[in-house]
Amino acid sequence: MTDDPDMLTAVAVSALLVIGSLFSVLAALGLLRFPDLYTRMHAASKAGTIGSGLLLLAAGIHAMDIAILLRALAGFAFFVLTAPLSAHLLAKAAHQAGYRLTNLSVTDQLPQPQPKSRPH
Amino acid sequence: MSAAAILSSSIYFALAMLSLGLLLTVLRILRGPTLPDRVLALDMLVAIAIGLIAVLAIKSGFNLYIDIAIALSLVGFLATVAFARFVLARGLSPEKDSGAGRPLPTAQKTKHGKPARRNKKGVR
Amino acid sequence: MTFLAVNLLLMLTWAAVSGSFTLHNLLLGLAVGALSLWLVREQFAAARHRVNLVKLLVLTAVFFKELSLSAIKVALLVIRPNMQLRPGIFAFPLTLTRDFEITLLANLITLTPGTLSVDVSDDRKTLYVHALDCHDPAAEKRAISTGFERRIREAFPL
Repeated sequence: MTDDPDMLTAVAVSALLVIGSLFSVLAALGLLRFPDLYTRMHAASKAGTIGSGLLLLAAGIHAMDIAILLRALAGFAFFVLTAPLSAHLLAKAAHQAGYRLTNLSVTDQLPQPQPKSRPH
Repeated sequence: MSAAAILSSSIYFALAMLSLGLLLTVLRILRGPTLPDRVLALDMLVAIAIGLIAVLAIKSGFNLYIDIAIALSLVGFLATVAFARFVLARGLSPEKDSGAGRPLPTAQKTKHGKPARRNKKGVR
Repeated sequence: MTFLAVNLLLMLTWAAVSGSFTLHNLLLGLAVGALSLWLVREQFAAARHRVNLVKLLVLTAVFFKELSLSAIKVALLVIRPNMQLRPGIFAFPLTLTRDFEITLLANLITLTPGTLSVDVSDDRKTLYVHALDCHDPAAEKRAISTGFERRIREAFPL
């Protein structure tokens, strides 16, 4: 029964679907539960990337077509390359704009630019 | 249990989980409390939407959906980059209009320490 | 020469991704690849360096292992009832000098357990890293410099 190739792909795709969607929902939950922007970024950039990447991979495997699988892999690679970039850009912009870390934080060695006074 | 049954039940499980994830992310967008938080949540929303499209590709059998997911990831990345530039250009926002979803003052001390501190510094 | 090799590689990737190896499609891939390489020609010309392929593959494998570990770690942290977070930003002294190496290191750090790169100092000597658990920055620094930093230096020898 389990030697059936259809069964094998179905199980693999199902496992990827379940794990990927769990990572996605946990990333969303982390977005809700973490105390400040910078800690939330950890959830979004790691668990979120893996979640969506695994779901794309599942779609690629399910198609049973090498071109589609390569396309899904290209999408995964693109996603893995861009997610840290956008997280990094947003964290840098937020820190430079003056958004502070949560009070739980133990250290902040990044020098903070003096906040500019805003015109009313 | 047949292959099709396993596949369809896991597809429905994934759809349910992703919908829940979308809801949680929308909640974070509503609660804010700051602009970068919302930008991050929007980024996450795009990521979950990509996953959702991939699941829909499996469910419907249209492999073209994968190309749509890749295109969406490109657009989402560019949107986040543009938003990051916007956060940088706008600086610290007063966040006057985000009172609706704010945590209670007691919660601010323990769990959401940031808004309380920022208000004290007050840019206005 | 490198230009031609990369262009051919791009052409083959295009043909594989679009799923047809006909002559027309290959020519289209060649043209599009040449165009995109022409767009980044200045950065491409500046980025000539030796590559240790084996070490690069090892780096890639280690990276994917760390990525899955970090996703699992964050996911487990999220479902824990009381998250004991001690977040903070620590300064990591860079020993890598070239821009692309720093970029690569910053990206790798972002996708590994508990750390996220925030900023690079203007003189490119310090990388500021946000960590979920920052009670012992020295250990984190050691882990990065003996882990990814060493591997990047080995993969791209001077």
